[in-house]
Amino acid sequence: MKDLLKNLVEAFGPAGNEGPIREILRTEVEGLVDEVKVDALGNLIAIRKGSGPRVMIAAHMDEIGVIVTHIDEKGFLRFSNIGGISPFMLIGQRVVFANGTVGAFGAEKLDDIKDLKLNKMFIDIGAKDEKSAKEKVTIGDIGAFYRQANFQGDRVIAKSLDNRAGCAVLVKTLKELAGREIPNQVYAVFTVQEELGLRGAKTAAYGVNPDVGFAVDVTGTGDTPEAPTMAVKLGEGPTIKVKDSVVLTHPRVRQFMMEVAKNKGIPYQLEILERGGTDTGPIHLTREGVPSGAISVPTRYIHTPSEMADINDMENAVKLFVAILEAKLDEAIL
Amino acid sequence: MATVGLAEFLGNIISEAGVSGHEDKVAAVVQKGMSGLFDEARTDALGNLIVLKRGIGRAPHPRVMLAAHMDEIGLMVTKIEDQGCLRVTQIGGIDRRILPGLEVIVHGRKKLPGVVGAKPPHVQERGEREKSVKWEDLYVDIGLAGDEARELVQIGDTITFAQTPIKLQGQFMAGKTMDDRAGVGVLYECLRALKTMRHHADVYCVATVQEEVGVRGATTSTYGIVPDVGIAIDVGFGDQASVPEYQSISMDKGPGISIGPAVHPAIHERLKSVAGELEISVQVDPSPHPGGTDAFAIQIARAGIPTALISIPLRYMHTAVETVCLTDIERAGRLLAEFIVRIDKKFVEGLKCF
Repeated sequence: MKDLLKNLVEAFGPAGNEGPIREILRTEVEGLVDEVKVDALGNLIAIRKGSGPRVMIAAHMDEIGVIVTHIDEKGFLRFSNIGGISPFMLIGQRVVFANGTVGAFGAEKLDDIKDLKLNKMFIDIGAKDEKSAKEKVTIGDIGAFYRQANFQGDRVIAKSLDNRAGCAVLVKTLKELAGREIPNQVYAVFTVQEELGLRGAKTAAYGVNPDVGFAVDVTGTGDTPEAPTMAVKLGEGPTIKVKDSVVLTHPRVRQFMMEVAKNKGIPYQLEILERGGTDTGPIHLTREGVPSGAISVPTRYIHTPSEMADINDMENAVKLFVAILEAKLDEAIL
Repeated sequence: MATVGLAEFLGNIISEAGVSGHEDKVAAVVQKGMSGLFDEARTDALGNLIVLKRGIGRAPHPRVMLAAHMDEIGLMVTKIEDQGCLRVTQIGGIDRRILPGLEVIVHGRKKLPGVVGAKPPHVQERGEREKSVKWEDLYVDIGLAGDEARELVQIGDTITFAQTPIKLQGQFMAGKTMDDRAGVGVLYECLRALKTMRHHADVYCVATVQEEVGVRGATTSTYGIVPDVGIAIDVGFGDQASVPEYQSISMDKGPGISIGPAVHPAIHERLKSVAGELEISVQVDPSPHPGGTDAFAIQIARAGIPTALISIPLRYMHTAVETVCLTDIERAGRLLAEFIVRIDKKFVEGLKCF
């Protein structure tokens, strides 16, 4: 899991520019499934054929980032956000573009740090002037955070655990299931543009037309000093989602997931995420509606370059996913 | 089978719990209350109750969808503290100023009475009383602490207002979740009227789910039904002290016939002309903002559905004492039935010609 995760979190793939991460994932899943395809928006769809209901399992592979909006005569880049980014966490960070160019985030002089906004900030790629800057980047280029992953015991600190942690869970789930007979057809989808409004999952789910859907993503925790009230802790098991901003998990689906976890002795927590949405939202509203659930990996400091999660939660998420996909979902849910 | 009167039907359905995403029990009560008035009933993947009354005559029959949402705003348990209080979040838009001191029901392993706690005025800091209490300071008390509470309650359990139906003077009635069970009452009145009428159109009455969290049920049910005409029935701001006249419609003056971006002008005109012909009192209700009701979800389903919106005047929206006038619901039901019997191929085709 650690090698896989390191490979995934360090890969480049901001929303709308998922090429590099998609190729890594394609390599990972080829050979584990019957067919791999990419749809019009760039969603990577790995299909396990067979009989039984069609189950879509989704993890978004995109990450947050920044987009260059202007290059000034001195070679500094102005930028906007791709996904939810706080200006305060950019100070001191580095950005990397698809061609390997690295830049530092800088800020204008401010009387009060509270006035810091993205439009008071710039990216410095060390260019001497506009011309040399433009040799390396152009307007519209999208950058991602530049960070390596650190593993300490069972904990990992990395950029883009949101949601490469989920991607790792899906890949491992497919590995566990490879060569085994299960009573469901599985469409594992690595979705694009989740961070820009759950866009990839919407079209992927329309195309797959699933009978049941599950997403795996990260969720917040309430276990840090003076944290907001949230009954989720790192290392106490993956969560079974009850609610977020875009879905209220169907009670029957939630109940089924809890029973599976209990029967297999897999630790789990119940999750209510008060702000934020996941791919489960668009999946469950697809066509005439799709009973859908979600598993999340508890993660601290989401949407920073130093997100933290526990490997055991991911391993247990894999166990839970495998157990769910081994169940007769038509009898359990439909 | 004889049907009950509107007040009784409405009293029955508002007494049942059905916080968004958890509407199965109220769906059962609605279906039972409507029995004898429809040909087929089913619930879809999200829990929408779809009741079909078939039209007569030669196929194809125009398809009319009437939608009223049956979900209600409420609370959800987010954490069970060792001291016994239940931390909560809102499902749907709740004005937290109305919560302290309220009696609620926690839908745990069984129905548990609870109260929303509040800090005594005596021990409040200076100025505290002028501010509304924050969500993180609100809690529900069921009289049990820690593990005893955890035996009966888990994270994700829903909480509803305990308010029972109140019969006010005249034709006024108050209670929780008149938004939008009053609309479900309109579906009931419409089906009761249609029982003795001849109509060509197939009528799909849908009690939708999850409207309060983003018109989700109407999104999927409309995709499935693919109606020729869609009409959402929801509640509008009834006249009350402190709400300006230009933002409200009058109580007991008939339903609001909405006009705005979600409304097809030809359906609006037809509703008004049918009301005029039969001298049913109605009010024109400008609805300048799309979204916010099932009409929006219906309108943008598939390749687009000609849609209208009818609003029942309601006072004190999103409180436990939402107040309606039964005459407005009766008029809306009768108007819709009369509108439906007048639907023919020509009208439906005309909706697609601008």
